[in-house]
Amino acid sequence: MFLFVIKYLGFLKFIPGLGVVFDAWLKIWEVINGRKTLDYIDNIEAEVEKWTGITTSIHKYGGLQFNLGRRELGHIHSNGLLDMLLSRKIKQQLMEEDGRVQHHHSFKNSGWISFYIKDEADMDFAISLLRMAYEHHKK
Amino acid sequence: MKKVLTPLFNGYLVSNLVGLLIIGLTKYLTAKTYDFLGGTYTLAEFLIVPFLMGIIAVWFWRHEPLPGSRLVSRAWYNSFIAIALSFGFLREGVICLVILSPLLWSFMLAGCYAGRYMFKRDNQTLNVSVVALLAIFFFVDVMSEHHYENMVADEMVVNAPVSTVWKNVVAYKRNTSPDKYWLFKIGMPSPVESTAEGYYLGAKRKCIFSNGYVFDEKITTYEENKNLIFDITNQPRDPEIMGHIDILRGQFLLKDNGNGTTTVTGNSWYRLYVFPAWYYGIWAKSITRNVHIRVMEHIKEISEAR
Repeated sequence: MFLFVIKYLGFLKFIPGLGVVFDAWLKIWEVINGRKTLDYIDNIEAEVEKWTGITTSIHKYGGLQFNLGRRELGHIHSNGLLDMLLSRKIKQQLMEEDGRVQHHHSFKNSGWISFYIKDEADMDFAISLLRMAYEHHKK
Repeated sequence: MKKVLTPLFNGYLVSNLVGLLIIGLTKYLTAKTYDFLGGTYTLAEFLIVPFLMGIIAVWFWRHEPLPGSRLVSRAWYNSFIAIALSFGFLREGVICLVILSPLLWSFMLAGCYAGRYMFKRDNQTLNVSVVALLAIFFFVDVMSEHHYENMVADEMVVNAPVSTVWKNVVAYKRNTSPDKYWLFKIGMPSPVESTAEGYYLGAKRKCIFSNGYVFDEKITTYEENKNLIFDITNQPRDPEIMGHIDILRGQFLLKDNGNGTTTVTGNSWYRLYVFPAWYYGIWAKSITRNVHIRVMEHIKEISEAR
């Protein structure tokens, strides 16, 4: 459903506030289905915000965005999908090491990756991925 | 008193009071000033107001940790309070509010999240800008004329000759079969009977609903065994959904299939008084479709009875 909306209704993202509403629907969907995704996202937010220079904001298409200064480290949609920008080299390496790391759902030929957070282990891995991006961009 | 007026309570109370005040004032002022706006609920009232209510509620809750799951449940409670107040003060019907609730909840939650990040940043320029943008969008939308009409068509094959079906299409005896559509089951009136003063052009017709509602109709096209069109001349005004939709016209088209069966096509034209149409249109279509199905299944049953 998420990928369908992104692919076919993505043009609606230019309407101000619609991304936030779409993300609110994702939140409601996760809670109705009894998933703990929102708790995992809260825990990731609490952890990553401790790092020097990190700020959070609403992603332009909805979701939680992590910033280092003016640069975006990545964002998490409320269905637990973490999107992050790394170098192509790191992306390749990560995808070879761990099958859970995928091409970005929209930009396959780029340094962007996508990773679904479904349980606590995924949550810890997401934090380590964000840490990797943090160290990478801090240089 | 301090124990009652906690930030949690104030968040619910003030956001709902502001929401109620905006809707009430908008209804009052527009009805007084602009006739064409009277009775219409706009996109801004259903989307901007709950969004703003979410922001206001979170302003009161900004000093406590607000994990996502808590915000989702609080947005739900706040939506429930808003629905109860709308029932009490705005005289809205229960089914109408059931239909509204998913929209209210999602926009309230979006407002809560937007508020959470706004107050976390504590940037007054940003906060004022967001509220000003919402206000501009609200006024522009409320002051604009809204008009939405649509038509729904459904088809059914009846295992009876066209002359038998025609007789039952113009008027049919009371339908006592149980409702199948979930909105009818929870109390929305469903069509049960149709009467006509005669089988001719200009005859008055009545469509009677399960709760006693009567739609007055007049036959405007009468082509025996082929085409029946009737305009709705008077329909009940009610706080339930029927106050927010006008059924304008109905039509039954009959086609003799040449094998003793008849294809019946039911068409209905309606006008909506609630917006956004992309949301309420889905409901209006579903309700109209189920009115068609109930009527056409009944026509099929009595036409096929030997």
